[in-house]
This record gives sequence, structure tokens and C-alpha cells, in this order.
Amino acid sequence: MRAIPATRGPRGAPPPPPPLAALLQSNALLDDAALAGATPLRADVLVLGGGGAGAAAALAAAGAGRQVILATKLRMGDSNTVMAEGGIQAAIGPEDSLQHHFDDTLRGGHNSADPHLVKQLVTDGPAVIRWLIGLGMHFDLEKEAGLGARLLRKKAGGTTVPRILSHRDVTGLEMMRVLREAVELHPRITVMNRCPAVELLSDDAGACVGAVLYDLEHRRFLLLRSPAVILATGGSGRLHLGGFPTSNHYGATADGLVLAYRMGARLRDLDSFQYHPTGVAWPAPLAGGLISEAVRSAGAWLVNGHGQRFVDELLARDIVAAAILREIAEGRGVTRGGRVGVFLDTPGLLARQPDLLETRLTGLKHLAHKAGFDPRREPFLVAPTLHYQNGGAVIDPQGETTIPGLYAAGEVSGGVHGRNRLMGNALLEIISFGRRAGAHAAARPVAAYSRGGIEHVHRWQRALAAAGLPRAPRAPLLYPDYAPFSLRQHAAA
Amino acid sequence: MDAHTPPPPEAGPAAAPAAGITLVIDGVEITAAPEASILQAAAHGTAALTANIGCMGQGVCGSCRCMVRRQGERQVETRLACETRAEAGMEVSFIDYFIPEHRHVYDIAEVTESWGLLDQLNAIFPEAAHCRHCGGCDRACPKGIAVQQGVALCVAGDFDAAARGFDECVMCNLCTLACPEHIRPNNLGLFVRRATAALTLRPIDLVRRLREIEQGAMAVEIPPEAGAGAAPAVEHDA
Repeated sequence: MRAIPATRGPRGAPPPPPPLAALLQSNALLDDAALAGATPLRADVLVLGGGGAGAAAALAAAGAGRQVILATKLRMGDSNTVMAEGGIQAAIGPEDSLQHHFDDTLRGGHNSADPHLVKQLVTDGPAVIRWLIGLGMHFDLEKEAGLGARLLRKKAGGTTVPRILSHRDVTGLEMMRVLREAVELHPRITVMNRCPAVELLSDDAGACVGAVLYDLEHRRFLLLRSPAVILATGGSGRLHLGGFPTSNHYGATADGLVLAYRMGARLRDLDSFQYHPTGVAWPAPLAGGLISEAVRSAGAWLVNGHGQRFVDELLARDIVAAAILREIAEGRGVTRGGRVGVFLDTPGLLARQPDLLETRLTGLKHLAHKAGFDPRREPFLVAPTLHYQNGGAVIDPQGETTIPGLYAAGEVSGGVHGRNRLMGNALLEIISFGRRAGAHAAARPVAAYSRGGIEHVHRWQRALAAAGLPRAPRAPLLYPDYAPFSLRQHAAA
Repeated sequence: MDAHTPPPPEAGPAAAPAAGITLVIDGVEITAAPEASILQAAAHGTAALTANIGCMGQGVCGSCRCMVRRQGERQVETRLACETRAEAGMEVSFIDYFIPEHRHVYDIAEVTESWGLLDQLNAIFPEAAHCRHCGGCDRACPKGIAVQQGVALCVAGDFDAAARGFDECVMCNLCTLACPEHIRPNNLGLFVRRATAALTLRPIDLVRRLREIEQGAMAVEIPPEAGAGAAPAVEHDA
């Protein structure tokens, strides 16, 4: 399968899960008629995606004096970033170092990450925290506030030194509301909500020179020309790979991977996904939702149906998740309301540290409130939930993909974490690489706006036909398949 | 972990069962699982949601704000659909996003003078002092924040207390919708939160580490075997 090798993977690349492979091999949503009728627009830098990486990229590019359009499928801030609970890694402790952070990250990813990206990530860490404070983000302190105060540091699974900085267990909320406000108030950033990208634009030399957006409010296509495009479209949890529930937001449907791949960008580790160990298994309405690693970091135990602990709760996420699945598979799980999992022993934790619920674990308090029970008396039932797309578009340390003019930052990119991600490295990644991509994209010459077109799509469609797949399903998916959505019908209505 | 691991038996997105409860969402009758949230009911409805949906259950993005009337009640309440359980006979209307008429524009990088913070607050949010204590914001808030009191703390310059008061705000903008004085309480609260962090948070461990990095005392060495476990990448050759 030479033309469309996504399912097999050339040169020994492990194949992506079938639902993702099907999307990568899909046909375009867009046709020439839609393109001909599209409304033209221009930007110096186009950012696709309204989470933390997109916001950081937009702020960096606008800070360099560029006119930026940030287009997003849902609404600015509706993202996995806002849902992040645990915190952000940065090596600031006196016993810590950038080298320790580098070593932990590489080991946590089974020595499969791109070491140059990891070096960039950990080196940016402290400056990222300073930048966030400058924007007005709060971080928890060890003791009382004041000059000379120290940051509260928590230990992430799979690390050697406490390195997680946080705002209680709602770090992503605190980060995203600050970033969103900064973006929305910036005079050189235009935010376009409900405008998903449906295709990228290429020029004759194969560079990315813009994107076609679909404006859901006005039911029209927009032809947005820009000398630099930053993909910050996030991951793919809503594909429910392997039938797992997910902790991801509604829009995580692999759109960025599909667009980048069709354009010819190189992708990596597409078979590697992180299953967060402590997704809610019971109560059923909350299933798939996340219980922050902060709860285990604070000392909560995992207990099986025999009342036994079965794993060091603070090992790397993939190891803890596998241990839980093993307990369930070997009949030592707990069944409640038709759901199987293991206990997260919050009663034990809160008996040992009674004030945690009010001070550090406010997210847990809210979750228990929604669940309708008291976590001091009753434990949650947990099981792994699809949490993070480890792989993605190959990037260099400036965030540029293998396609000139096309950048990627955050979950849509690959190589920063390798085949497993440590807690707290995602929030660091989105700011570190988001800002790098934004600054580098801003440095591209803007003198000539290339006309751009979808010749790469025509080439792709010819390859589909040659492979006997001319009627391949269309993608990007845009929305999960819980209820039907047809772009054509929507645009025709 | 291998992406192809068989799923645990209970896994999979919550789908509406054959027998469930019936409620009306934006004029359309929907059948939902008995324990579903309003948002889960809507997401598994007749057409894919393209708005008023984001984090899908965590209650942190503020997208799924809606008006809810329970069966047999006259009172309409504002809620987040993801945090409210669907009930038989419930009537739900999602609340659209709107282009705000009043914008309070500032650049946090220009808020540098802590002696003048109160003056700056009054200049950027001049309406805040005009609160008529109608309590609309408090009733509108789906998070139970004491919004009106928070506004008063901001105006009084009790910044730390005000910042704490808005700590759990998810910026759903319902208080702004409810405010007849155009105060935009959530943006006001966020301004105070941002200003207090940007003006006062100076962790000494971070300061010291930044200095070490600047002085070149924190190099990262890449060992020769680093990244040796990487799998090959893919690209199509069409």
C-alpha cells in the first residue's frame, strides 16, 4: 500500500489504532465548489485551536507585532487545558535541576522521546512559570505569601524530585482563564469561535499557506491565507479508541492529525496513547472523567476487591494503569452498579489528612459533590480512561513540522514525551512550544501572501482512487459520533 | 500501554438506553439515560452539538450554561448542563454566547504600580462602584460564588479577599448577563486575580533558578543513547 500507508506504516512504524487509521486515510470534507465560494481573509499568523497551546502561540506571535487570527472549533478556552488538574512541571527546587527533569522525562517516556525537544522543554520550564505569573496566574505557595515565599512542589508519578507546581487541583482552569482573557483583550489577536479548520492550503512548493475554515454561525467557508499556520488542535480522546471512556473534552477528534497527514507532514508514535489510571468507573454518569493524579500524589492508595494495595501508586501512569487493568482482568476488581474498577481510597487519605479537601483537593470535593457522596466516607471506583495522545506531528525545537510554514504545538505534536507522558509535562509543553511556534511563525516573511490552493488534496484523492478507495469516508470528523453531523447538510441549510 | 488492549467490559461512551427519561431541550424532546446529565442527554440527541459544549462534565469550561425549569415548578434557574442531572419533564434552554457591548480593555503588563491599583481598577471598571445590590449575579452563578460581595471587595480594594472569592469562577459569564449595571463581575474578579498574582507573586526559588539558568549554571547534557527507543515516523507518499 504505497500511496496511503497509514494503516501499515512504512519503514517499520507501528500502525495506528484502526479508527485513527481510517480517519488518516479519509477523503477531504472540502470540494472545489466550496472553495470557489469561500470568503477570503488574511492574517500574518493563523493559529488553529483555542486551548493553552493556541493561546500561547497567539500571544507570542502578536507580541512580536503580527496580526493574528485564532480560529477554534468550539470556543476559545474549551479544551483539555482548562480541564487539567494536577499541575505543571518546572525544575525550581534547590535539590532539583534541569538535568533531573530531562532524565525523568526521557525515562518516563521509555527513552523514546526526541531528546532535543525534551531539552528545550525542561530548559524553558522556569521561564514559562515566570511568564504565566506575569500574565496573572496564581500558584500555590509552601507557606504564607510574601517576598521570599517558595512555591509548593508536589511529586508526579515516575519522577525523582517534587517538581509539580499547581493552583490547587484546578491548575488548568486557572491557566486557561488567564490565557483566554489575555488573548481576548489583545489588540492584534482576532478570535474566531465556532470556525473549525476543514483543510489546509498549500502552495506550488508544498508549503502551508493558510487554511479553509467553516464558519458555523454563518454557514460559510472562509479561505484564510497566512504565511504561517500553527496547529494547536489537541488530541483524539473522543475517538474512544479501544472502546475506552475518555477524560477529553468534546472536540478531541484528531482533526489536526488528519489535516497534517493529508498535507504530507510526518507523524510519529500514532499507536501510543496514555490511559490515565484514575478515571471514574462509578458513579456511571461521571464515567471516564478524571480524578486528578494530585489525589495519589497527596497519598491516596489504590485498593482491589480483596482490600489489598497492588501497585506503588506513584509509578508512571502507564504502569499504574496497566496494574489496574490486570487486577480487573484477573478477577480482583470491584463491581458496583454494573461497573468494574478498583477503589481509590479517599476515606483513608482524608482520615490521615483531614484538611486536604478544603485546601488542596477542591476539584475532588466538587467531583464528590456531583457524585452525591462524601469522599471521607465512601471511595470512588476507578479504572483507566483514555487521556492523552502521546504521538503526533514531528516537530523541530521551534515547533515547525516537516511542512514549511506549518507548525504544531501541544498534544497534536509528537516527540516531546515519547511513548508515555509524565504528569505536569503537558501544561509545560503547551506553553513552551506554543510560545516557540508563535515566535518562530512571527519571524516568517509576510510580504507575499501566496494564493494557495488544495492541490495536495487533489493529489491525495488521485491516490485514494488508485488504491481503490475513492469513496473513503470524509474527515476531519469535527464532532464525536454520538449524534449525526454532516458538514454538507449544515452548509446547504 | 498498547492502544489495542481490549477494553474493560463496562467501558465506552454513555449511550442512551432503550428505556429512559424524557425531557425537552431547546424545544426538542429527548430520551436520556436515567442518571445522565442534561449535557449527556443533549449530546446523544438527534443532531451533533456544535455549541454550548466543551469539557463535557468537569464543570470548568462554562460552555454549557442553560436555563432549567423542573417539572411542576415555575422558577427558572441558570445551571451548567454538565453538572445538572436530567430529570423527567424538565425544560432546558441553552444560552447562546453574545458579543459583549461593554469591554473593559487593559494590558496586564501595564498594571505595574501597586500604589495605584485601586485607581486603575476604577478606571477600567468604572461601573463596579454602581452596584445596586439586586443580587442577580448571585442567583445566576452556577458555582455558588458570592459574586455581589466579590464586587464590593474589589471596589473596596480588599484585593486578596476578592481574588479568593472568585477562585472557583469558570467564566461562564452568567453574572455578566444578569448585571443591569454592566459591571461584568467575572471579568472584574479575574482582573483582580491577575493583578494580585502579577504584582505580588515573587517566589524566591523560581527567582534563584532563573538566575542560575541565565548564568549558564544549569546546562542539560544529552547522553549518547538518549531517544534510542524511538519508533520510526510515518508520512504518506501520495
